[in-house]
Amino acid sequence: MAETTTGFRIASGERRQLGALARLGKWLASERVFRLIPFVLVEGLFIVTILIPFLLTIWISLLKWRANRPFETAVFSGLDNYVGVLENDQFWSSIGRTFYFAGVAVALELLIGFFLAMMVTNCTRSKKLYTTIFLVPMMIVPIVVGYNFSMIYIDSGPLNQLLSPFLERFGIDPRIRWLSHPVAAQWAIIIADVWQWTSLTFLIFLSGFASLPKQLINAARVMGASPSQIFWRVQLPLLKPAIAIAVVIRSMEALKMFDPVVLLTFGGPGTSTQTVAYFLWEQVWQFNKFSFGAAASILLLILFSFLIFAGIFTIIKQRNAVAGGH
Amino acid sequence: MIRALSLLAGLSLAAVIAAAPAQAQQDPVAQRAVEGAKAYIKDKNLTNPKLTILLSSLYNNSFPDFTRKWEELTGVKFEIVPLGYTDIPAKVMQEGVSKTGVYDIFNDFPYTMPDAAGAKVILPMDDWVAKYKPDFSGIADGLKFQQYYDGKIMNMVNDGDHLLLAVRKDLLENAQAQAEYKQKFNKDLACPDTMQEWKRQAEFFKAKAGETRWGVKFEKDLYGALGYRSINFSYRHFPAYMKGLPFDKDMKPRIATPNGIQAIKDFAASVDDMPKDIQGWGTPQIYPFWASGQAYSAMSFPSIIGFGSSNPQSVIKGQQIACLIPGQTIDGQLVRRAPQAAGTGYMVSAYSKNPELAYLFIQWFTSPSIGDEAVAHSKGFWDPFRQSNLTDKAILDRFGEQMVKTTIENSKYAASLLLIEGNYEYFNILDKNLADVMNKNISAEEAGKRIEAGWNKVTNDIGLANQQRVWRKGVEQGIYLDKF
Repeated sequence: MAETTTGFRIASGERRQLGALARLGKWLASERVFRLIPFVLVEGLFIVTILIPFLLTIWISLLKWRANRPFETAVFSGLDNYVGVLENDQFWSSIGRTFYFAGVAVALELLIGFFLAMMVTNCTRSKKLYTTIFLVPMMIVPIVVGYNFSMIYIDSGPLNQLLSPFLERFGIDPRIRWLSHPVAAQWAIIIADVWQWTSLTFLIFLSGFASLPKQLINAARVMGASPSQIFWRVQLPLLKPAIAIAVVIRSMEALKMFDPVVLLTFGGPGTSTQTVAYFLWEQVWQFNKFSFGAAASILLLILFSFLIFAGIFTIIKQRNAVAGGH
Repeated sequence: MIRALSLLAGLSLAAVIAAAPAQAQQDPVAQRAVEGAKAYIKDKNLTNPKLTILLSSLYNNSFPDFTRKWEELTGVKFEIVPLGYTDIPAKVMQEGVSKTGVYDIFNDFPYTMPDAAGAKVILPMDDWVAKYKPDFSGIADGLKFQQYYDGKIMNMVNDGDHLLLAVRKDLLENAQAQAEYKQKFNKDLACPDTMQEWKRQAEFFKAKAGETRWGVKFEKDLYGALGYRSINFSYRHFPAYMKGLPFDKDMKPRIATPNGIQAIKDFAASVDDMPKDIQGWGTPQIYPFWASGQAYSAMSFPSIIGFGSSNPQSVIKGQQIACLIPGQTIDGQLVRRAPQAAGTGYMVSAYSKNPELAYLFIQWFTSPSIGDEAVAHSKGFWDPFRQSNLTDKAILDRFGEQMVKTTIENSKYAASLLLIEGNYEYFNILDKNLADVMNKNISAEEAGKRIEAGWNKVTNDIGLANQQRVWRKGVEQGIYLDKF
């Protein structure tokens, strides 16, 4: 037994342990290692939360397994699930429908959001009030939005009551079956999405308008440019990065459209409002086809990755163009 | 007045609850469960016993009254995890993968049972049934046998959610309507015996807002019929139209046969007598619409009659008749099939730390005395289903004698939907194609072909041999009433 400087006696084994800890502490504190610690933590988090689940998804996609059997009974099936997905008509039709919904919804959200942002920017009174009001929809929980719209869309509900004077004038039956007619149900989904997410495009454009250099606009005004010339020749080109960001962010989200579908129509009537996210959810959580769902999600990841990279490339290109213009 | 009524209702409920232990003592099934639970706790030396149930949120306002009572009797505490019934199957299957053991009991439709049994996330209860002897007497075969999967008891039911036909008494008994109907069809106006007759009545009882017919002025449109025609619901009603089983003994679908095609056509044609938006409606729309007096008839869960009687906004109080499910004529015989469209059952989790204790609660809760109390509970959604309901005053007061008698009589025709693995996928394929026919996107013949192909794919994906074996066993047992 030895006596330490503090007067405590410690065993030689413990002393060796303390020495090792001290050496580890010293090693971690060294310049070479310390600067790498944050990266190790981030990488570790990445591995645990993204890489391992991703590899598991790939592994599951190569098995023949439905969750109505224990996982231990799963057998390797190669690329069968991928073939099954690619041969599934509903997979392709739901992808097509998703692009249709996303395309129409995002276009409307961009137009309305841009218009509202422009109006609020030029507003001289109650700017904060309008900004708050236009941002509210985005902050409402999707399930509340879904429930509200399901009440609005009922065939004797407020929307049809509002539309009936106009529709009856043209001889159209005012009882539009918003949730049960295949075409009307698609528009019901799009309208609900536009109502909720125009707030986001509005916010992006509002910040875009706020960051426009005043000097350039004033200079154009001094040089005799009309308001429309200032808008088309000065403001709009400078807003291109904001537009690109709004398009990419909203498109990425809209391609995952799920909430309004499950809350309003459950993909129906038939499959007329079934998006690819709903298709996947149904296959996995309703039918327990985990392997099939895993294969479909990998294929979607590949498809959407191309789109995302194209979007990011567009943003960078626009930003560089604007920076070059300066 | 309202306050006085509320007070009276509260006192009645309190009296029912207070009387429970005495009733349970007279009920040997409930008593055995309570004694069994006490003995189990003692044997296992459990200091703070607790059970957790994944409960359909519909029962969140009624079920706790029973768990409190169970705790008083046995000392076993309860944790209730409420969840929407559409989300429960996925949650059960998740437990099959994650094996957390957080739940002791699962509560859901019997139709969740096959996949859960396949995944081995629920336990067979046969040994406990042999040991503690529950009482299934007085329950019609179609309801009793849906507690079984692959010949084993995996689920115990306490609810008769088989479809019946609710009809407007004031219109059915209207002398002018009766005379006109008799003259037109040479038949007395009464509860329809066949689906064809129901269709005829639904076409007959239609009126536009402002119109006066049979001496009655209609302020709003009157529709001939109501029924569930939306996705996730159509499949629950379709078997009433199908003559016979959906598969033959080799699991070959019978949907594309002439009988199947005709069933699709009849099912799709029924929407002509219903509100235009019916394909988007579920219970939250159908029940209030019925209570608003805008329909002559409704094929529905039995609780629609209770809603029509008790809803403060209802204009049809005292104006409803419960009718037996209309049937089909097969080889000159009237064959009625009341699909058990929903219903709730209770299953024991395979990962429960105290599965036997979980079973004992289920036996106590589904026992004749406590089960009757549940059916009578004013905030519950349990429907009458066993013979003892006929003599239970609280149940008769709640639902009305005519409705209880009809429901119990109707339970003789109660037949399960599909109780085989992958059933939700089979149902979904049927629903989507029925919707396409109702929307006139495809013909009934095309739908028959598509459903047949889809069902075959599911069968092969899960395993033909397994599906055939379980299907045959179920049919032979009498789950579906029809035989091969």
